[in-house]
This record gives sequence, C-alpha cells and structure tokens, in this order.
Amino acid sequence: MDIERPLSANEGLKERSNFLRGTIANGLTRVESGALADDDTQLTKFHGFYQQDDRDLRAERGKQRMEKAFSFMVRMRVPAGILTPRQWLKVEKLALERGNGTIRLTTRETVQFHGVLKGNLQPLMQGLHEDLLDTIAACGDVNRNVIATVAPWERAHHATIATLARDLSQHLLPKTRAWHEIWIGEEKISGGVVEDEPILGRTYLPRKFKIAIALPPYNDIDVFAHDLGFIAIVQRGRIVGYNVVAGGGMGMTHGESETYPRAGTVIGFCKPQDVIDTAEKIVTVQRDHGDRSNRKHARLKYTIDDMGLERFVALVNERLAVKLAPARPFAFASTGDRTGWTQEADGTSHFTLFVENGRIRGTMLEGLHAIAALDTGRFIMTPNQNLVIADIPPAQRPQVEALLAAYGLEKPLSGLRRNAMACVALPTCGLALAESERYLPDLITRLETELERFGLSQDDITIRMTGCPNGCARPYLSEIALVGRTPGLYNLYLGGAHEGIRLNKLHRRDVDGDAIVAALSPLFGSYATERRPGEHFGDYVIRAGIVAETTAGLDFHANLSHEAGA
Amino acid sequence: MQTAPLLPSTAPFAEEHIAALNRVISVSTAEQRAWLSGYLAGLQAASGTHAATPAAPPAKRAPLTILFATESGNAEALANQARKVAAKLGFAAKVVDMADFTPAQAAASENLLVVASTWGEGDPPQRAVDFYEALMADDAPRFEKTRYAVLALGDRAYAQFCEIGRRIDERLAALGGARITDRIDCDVDFETPANGWIDATLQRLNAEVGAKDAGASVIHVDFARPGADAPTRARPFEAEITEHARLSGSRSSSDTHHVAVSLEGSGILYEPGDALGVVPSNDPALADAVLNAAGLAGDEALRNALVNRLDITTLTQKQVEDFARETGTPVPPAEWAAGRQVIDLLETAPGKLSAEQLTALLRPLPPRYYSIASSRKAVGEEAHLLVAAVRYAAHGRPRQGVASVDITARHRAGDKLKVFLRANPHFRLPADNDRPIIMVGPGTGLAPFRGFLQEREAVGAGGRNWLVFGHRNYTHDFLYQLELQDWLKSRLLTRLDVAFSRDQPEKRYVQDSLWDARADVYRWLKDGAALYVCGDANAMAKDVHAALLRILADQGRQDEAAAKAELDAIRRDGRYLRDVY
Repeated sequence: MDIERPLSANEGLKERSNFLRGTIANGLTRVESGALADDDTQLTKFHGFYQQDDRDLRAERGKQRMEKAFSFMVRMRVPAGILTPRQWLKVEKLALERGNGTIRLTTRETVQFHGVLKGNLQPLMQGLHEDLLDTIAACGDVNRNVIATVAPWERAHHATIATLARDLSQHLLPKTRAWHEIWIGEEKISGGVVEDEPILGRTYLPRKFKIAIALPPYNDIDVFAHDLGFIAIVQRGRIVGYNVVAGGGMGMTHGESETYPRAGTVIGFCKPQDVIDTAEKIVTVQRDHGDRSNRKHARLKYTIDDMGLERFVALVNERLAVKLAPARPFAFASTGDRTGWTQEADGTSHFTLFVENGRIRGTMLEGLHAIAALDTGRFIMTPNQNLVIADIPPAQRPQVEALLAAYGLEKPLSGLRRNAMACVALPTCGLALAESERYLPDLITRLETELERFGLSQDDITIRMTGCPNGCARPYLSEIALVGRTPGLYNLYLGGAHEGIRLNKLHRRDVDGDAIVAALSPLFGSYATERRPGEHFGDYVIRAGIVAETTAGLDFHANLSHEAGA
Repeated sequence: MQTAPLLPSTAPFAEEHIAALNRVISVSTAEQRAWLSGYLAGLQAASGTHAATPAAPPAKRAPLTILFATESGNAEALANQARKVAAKLGFAAKVVDMADFTPAQAAASENLLVVASTWGEGDPPQRAVDFYEALMADDAPRFEKTRYAVLALGDRAYAQFCEIGRRIDERLAALGGARITDRIDCDVDFETPANGWIDATLQRLNAEVGAKDAGASVIHVDFARPGADAPTRARPFEAEITEHARLSGSRSSSDTHHVAVSLEGSGILYEPGDALGVVPSNDPALADAVLNAAGLAGDEALRNALVNRLDITTLTQKQVEDFARETGTPVPPAEWAAGRQVIDLLETAPGKLSAEQLTALLRPLPPRYYSIASSRKAVGEEAHLLVAAVRYAAHGRPRQGVASVDITARHRAGDKLKVFLRANPHFRLPADNDRPIIMVGPGTGLAPFRGFLQEREAVGAGGRNWLVFGHRNYTHDFLYQLELQDWLKSRLLTRLDVAFSRDQPEKRYVQDSLWDARADVYRWLKDGAALYVCGDANAMAKDVHAALLRILADQGRQDEAAAKAELDAIRRDGRYLRDVY
C-alpha cells in the first residue's frame, strides 16, 4: 500500500530533536523575543504547549516596533480529569500568577493555561511538578491525555476506568527525560545511557493519537471521536471487559474532500487485563503503517480506511497475545453531562458545575477557590468542559451549597446551552478562521428565543462550534454544528446523533448569525410539532429529509442537499 | 503680595520699582527684553557713566574659581556663563567640577564662586557627593583666605529647596570664608535671576579686588547674537514633528511615544547623551478650570498666558502662603501642598484674585527635558524623543504631566514643537570606541542608549555593548523591541537583559538583572567598562547604585567600605555616569 513519498518536515524535526530536546533550553534564555525558534515550536507540543500570539493585537504590533504578542498555551496531562482540591488550588494559583488569570477546561478533561509568557514556562511547569502534575505529551504526535467517563456516582466502575486511564497514559508516555531536564532541571542522562522509545519509536507517532474510555449509558467522552476507544461492558455488576473502537477522529480541511471526520468502528472485545496490550499494539500498528508523508492524512482513521478494516484488525491481532473477541452489546443514552446535584443512597453528593465553554475566571474562579479550600472530595473535569465537584460527604454538602449560592454558580440553563461546546479559537489559536468561544454564547441567546417560542427551552439538543475544521469541540458528532470558515461565516451541519454514534452532514455553507437563526428556527418549529416521542433533534432532521444520514466517514461529504451547495 | 521675581530681589532697585519692572517684563516678549537690555547697555556705554565702580581689566588678573555641582547640567551651564562674564571683567577664571576637586583645593582659592544644585529630596548631585561630604566633615580645611559666594539651584516644589547650596554657604562661612554677597536661591526659572546675580556678584567682587581704573563699561551685550545663534529656552526652535507613534501596546499601563522632530535649519548639533528642551503648553481645559476657580473666566489675554506662559500645575509652599495672605484665608498645614496643584489651592477660596494677582502668584512655565534617543550620524537632522505621558490621580482629581501629555496627546506628525538643546557633557560615550559599555535604562531611560547604539553602529565602534532594560509588561512595554533584536543579530548589542516587573508574582527590576548577572557585571567593569544609568532618580538610580555596591563587595570579596571606594574610583575615572530625573 505504501507509495514512497518524501517524509513530512516534522518527521525530520523529530528525528533530529534528540528525543524532543531540540534547542528549547537555549530558546528560553533569549530574552529579546517572546517566541522560541520555529523548529522548537513543533517540539514543544510534545512538552504540552503551543506557541501562540494574540491575534487581536497583530495589526498594531508593527507600528509599535514590537514583535507579535507571543505567549504560550500550556495543556496539562490529567488522565480521567481528576484533581485533588489541593491540586486545583495549585492550578488556580499558577493560572493567576503565570497565565492570563483564567483556567480553560477542555474536551480532553484537562486544563489549559493561556497567555503564559516564555519566562513563566519553567515556573509553571515546576509548580505543577510540585503537586505531581505534568504536561508531558498533552499535545504532539503521541498519545494525548486519556479521558474516561465522568460518573463518580458509579463508584467502583468509575474508579476502575479512571485507574485504567491513568495506566494507559503512563504506559504510552514518551520515555525521554527531556521534559524533566528542560523544565524541572533534572540532571542530564550521563553518556553511557542510550535513550529509546520502545513503543512510540524515535520519531514518535505519525500524528496525534487519542484514547477515551466510556462507561455506558454515558457517552460523555464521545467514544467514537477518538483514534481508540474502550466501551466498558458491565455484567452482573462487574466490568467484564471492553469493546474496542478504532479509527475515530474529527479533523478535516475545508475544500479537501479526501479529509473527513470519521466515527470510530467497533472492532472487538478484550478483557480488562488485556486492555493495555491491545492499546499498545494498536498504537504500534499506527506507528508502523500511518502516513508519515502527509500530516493531513496521518491519523489512524486514514490508516484504517486506506488498508481496509479487515486488514487492520488482522494486523492488530497478529501482534496481540490475546486476540480480540467479538464485540458485546452496549447502549448509550447521551453525550451530555448531568448538571447540578447527584446524591447517592449513602448521602454522598456530586455537583456538576456548568462552565460555559470551559472558561473559568473571576467570580467562578473565586467560588471554586472557596470550595477547594474546604479540602473535600475531588475536582473532575468533564469532556463537555464542565467541572464535577465529586465525593462530597453529607456533612459538607451544606457548606458547598452555601458557597455555590454565595458565588452565584448555580444558574438555570436552557437545554441547548447545557449541551453546547466551543473551542478556544480567536484570539489565541493560530488555526482559527472565525470566532468560537467568544461568539457561541451570544448565538445561543438568540437561538434560545426561538426555542422558547416552540416550547423547546428544556429539550437537550447538542450544539458545538469550532473556529476551524480541525474539530477540537468534536463538532461533527453534534446534532447542530457550526464550523468556522472566515470571520463571521460558518458551515452549518445537522443530523448528528444525540448519543454521539453518528456523524452529521453539511446543511448550509458560509452562513452568518442571521442566516443560522433563519435556518434553524423553522426546523425547531417543525421538530416541536412533528417529533415522535423521545425523538432527538438530530434524528428528526434525518427522518424529515432535511439532511441525509451519514453512515461512515467516507460518505461525510456525499449526499449533500441542494442548499448545501452539492 | 510678593511677586514671583523676574528681576531678583537683589536687583539694585527699590522693591516697588522691582515690582513695576517685573510687571512690564512679565508681559514682554523675548525680543522686547533683548532689545531693552541692549538699548540700555548701549545707552550707558555711550554716556560713559557707570553706577557700579569699575572696571577695566585688573592690572594683574585676579584669580577666580567657579566651582559647580551639577546633576542635570544647569549648574555647569551657569558656571560657564559666569566664566564668560568674569573673563570680560578681567578675571583669570577657571571652571571646575566638584567631582574633580577637593575642599583643600577650594580653600586655596582666593576667590570662589559656587554654583550648586540640590537634587531630589535635598541631596547633592551624585558626582559632588565626595566633595560635599568632605566639606561637611570635621576635618574640613579652613577657608579664611577665601572670598566666596554661592548660587543655589533648586525646585520649590520640593521641601528641601536649595538645601545643598544653603548648607555649603553656611559651611563656608563657618570655616572662615568671607561672603562676597548673599546667596541666591533659584527656582526652576533660574536663568534670569541667576544671570542677574552673577553679574552683580562679579561686579562687586571686581570692585573689591579688581583694578582701580574706572572707565570702560563692563557690560557686554552681544547685539549680533539673537537669531543667528542656536536656539535657547527663551528663543526655542519650532521643530516639525516628522513621526509620532505610540510604542506602548494598546493594553499597556503606560503611554509611551516615539516622537521624531526635524532640526533642519535649527543649528542644533547634539551629541548622544544630550537632552532636548521642550517648551510646552498647558492643557487648555486645565487653564479654563484655573480661570473658573479664580473667577476670571472670559479674560482671553490671561487665558493665553495660562496656556502658554505660566506654570498652572506645580504648587509650592510659598504659593500656598502667598495665596493665604492675599485672600485672608488661613494657611493650611505644611503637608497640605503635597500632591496638590494650583487648581486645588484656588478652589479653597474661589474667585478672590485679580488677573494681576493670579499672574503674580504663578511661576513661569518651565521647559521639560528629554534625553535624545538618536544619533545624528544615524538619523541626520532629526532628533528622536521617547516620551511617556504622565497621568495619575491625586486628591480626587486626574492629573497630567504638562509636557508629556502636550507632546503625546495634543501634537501629531506635522505639528511643531518648541525645542532647544541642553548639552549633557557628563553623559557621553567613552572617547575610546573600544571601551565596553553597560547601559542601564528602564522605561524611557532607554532613550539615550538608543542614541549611543546608533552612534556606535554608525562609527563602527568595536567596544562591547550591554543593555539592561526594564518596564512593566513584556508583551506591551518592550520599547523598540524589534530594533534591539536587530542589534543583537548584528552583534552591535553584545548582551541584553530585561526585567519586567509585572509579569510574575515577584517584582523584577533592572537592579535584579544586574545582581543576577553580577559575575559578568564585575568582569566587564574589570575590563574597563563604562556603566551608564538613565531614568528615575528616586527609586531606580538608588537601587541600581546599591546593587552595584553589593556586586563589587560580593564579587571583589571585600567589605562595604572597600566596595564604595571602588565604585567611587570608577566614577572618578569617568566610568560610572548617570542621567537621572
């Protein structure tokens, strides 16, 4: 299958990087610039951060005789998204002292610090390290943060998948000591020791690799959106194993139909003790067969579609000690979070705090500080950019309730807003073509007016916006999706499944806010009157013939309606 | 009410005549005054009479030592002016910097004129500290052979007005010196009273020690000069602004501008390190507020004077007392004036002054000085200024720096600025192009060093150049960042250290950068580097000075006294130079 083509530039960079060191350490000493050397900015992703610049300021900088307003976005590695209250307080302190004063929860159950200046990178990393946290492999061509369903009320099952997430993350972590050397000041390895990356290889993976673990009926982590997913199978109160899902992925490029989002395929089942080996072998198949010449065609989804699913499964089974068994039945209900309070029989409570687009600042930051200062329970970041304050003992619930009230953190929400996500986009993301986080809340306010007219205010409908087609907010699995094309204009997608098992379909091209409202309002109206009992909006628009059903990634761009500019 | 004198109270007139003359002078133009002085001098020369005694040049030229202590260069300029006057009177006058003189040498002088400025909160100029301390010490020499007079410079806005001049004057008397005439204490508008005092004092001295022959006039007025000469404070050059660009980012807490002016045809030939004086105008809105507070709204002539000619911001204790006397209101406590301005004073008793009283209350509007941020070798007939608009609130009212806001907010490219040169001969690049230099310039203190670097680049100087810059935020306040990057790339700039105070929880300043680099600072100094400091006098320059002492002690493994001696030696060697304000 492999046609010899030149390797992408990043492959050479990785090869020459001396296990991800490059010249990063030297770049930190160059005080005249807030940036790092170009090549190093590719390597720093493996260390968990991106170089960015404030795009709101680009126009003025030249006149001011200053370079672009560079800063860094630093992403933590937090398997399963679980922090202790003490760790939360450290994260908050670092965000205030070393970042822009905000904490950004992401769809990968972690925290992003934004606006970190070059001179603050080392203190930030050291601060995290002090509290047993790190940023290793949070970005880059490696296995990213491993996420798992957030359902602390499921007690043992949640504990099991959280532990699995931690073990998977640890097992697939790069072995290089570069992070510890550069950021923590660990002594360099002495001459005799030869470093190696037995799983990832010395040029690491062809592209990013994402793993998620779902605990049905919760599909909060969107198990079909990742390179590799595990669906816990519970029988007689025990997790007896996991269905294996491979080849999911969101990213695509506008105008390049050979790039497409793909929902993962269920390829089998494995027992709990075989999960790590299964993950490792799938990673090594992707390592050896993934496309290293074209980064837009390098994710596992293309590897699978290029070689065919059967061949891929065969390759995986060849490497496995215990072959994959037939998949077992499962059922998902929703991709959303259960917001508000959940109380267990023994009185233990969990509160899911709705965080609009995951951005925590100001009053909410202060309120969470006060709650964390109680030093009770755990702080769990959800894949929907929300935050669960978990495991609150009955005795402390009144205190938490009082603080939530005092800081105004418990607010009524519409079904649409509760199920909304946006990526960061402008002003910091270098890929953004349009606004996302700064715009979606206003658009939702307009759509809420329409929903209210039709009595749909409390109906759960997923809506996701991204500033570019790369898919950080997993838009292509949403019932309604808006993907940025250019400032003010979006492509509108419809027909994703509420429970996250089906991709959506392009409905309108290049629409602005007015056109989005105009397109959706009549659909809300007919949905309100024509829907069948329990029918979700995403299913309705397919039954009503508004968009064609997308059955596989390869037909994502097919069967477009006339309005979508087919 | 006492007038703010244009003629000094020491002028040889009755008090009411001084007031009358000042009323005329205060509304006169520079040209009118030049004409008047020339006319009277000429008239007197023609009539062949002279009020004061002498003097043809003394037969044997009497020696005169003119000793100055300067920080900004004003005292030195006056000393040089005094030497000219003295030379014309026939003295064998020499001008000496206190930095290069000892009390013993001064005590050996028969005739001694001291021009001393007071700095900050009653401190001597940095380079005069050794002399001053030796003079005040118990083992100071006696001055019984010496006739002397002291001209003190200061700023009435500070509590310790002319403190250093006063103390030198008293000390010289205590050590047995004979006062030629009473000391004069000059405020920021020192030029007229100072020159009058110099003329009077030297004539008096000449009368005492000079020749017997009274014949020729001693007053020399240079009729040829006006117009043909370099611009002065009284006769500034109208320089067109060729570039006016804000350097601070839009989210900066400061508002710093790059302002380029054309000096074409001005005759101003500056050197890197020099300053450009700018004659500003007041904020018209503040002038209106002052008029309203005084109950004089509608007086256009007065308004014009308030905008263009009078200082309507700075408030001195003397003004507070004068105003209380004039209006019959009680004098507020001594600390009341701190942080307050003229408008606050007027509003304590609104509508009580006549136009004349208000005019008399106010001091003349002084110029402001900006270190030039360019080299003529790089930019031709232009001068670049780095101007940070001063804005703050005090006593419940927003306040603005007069010149900085005038230049940055009320001027644009194409407008004109009134400018003149103020040389700063003690803040120059080393004569030796190969000598390494360390430049410490946070904020607008960067200005002269941009000039230094342009100059060293233009002449191909081989010496190493190390810049230590600081400000608040890296992202929004990195002045001339791209230029500095280019200079690092071309290796003109050998090293750059930065300290941005507000980017992290622990505040960082330039002195912290110096301390962190102490081994290299010490090595550079041992290699003969000259160290320059420009910027804030009160905090930064003192903190940098303390850091240097710590570095010399730490790296030289010596005690504090030895470190101080070493830094003094470096300073006497002309390798520790400051331009602070």
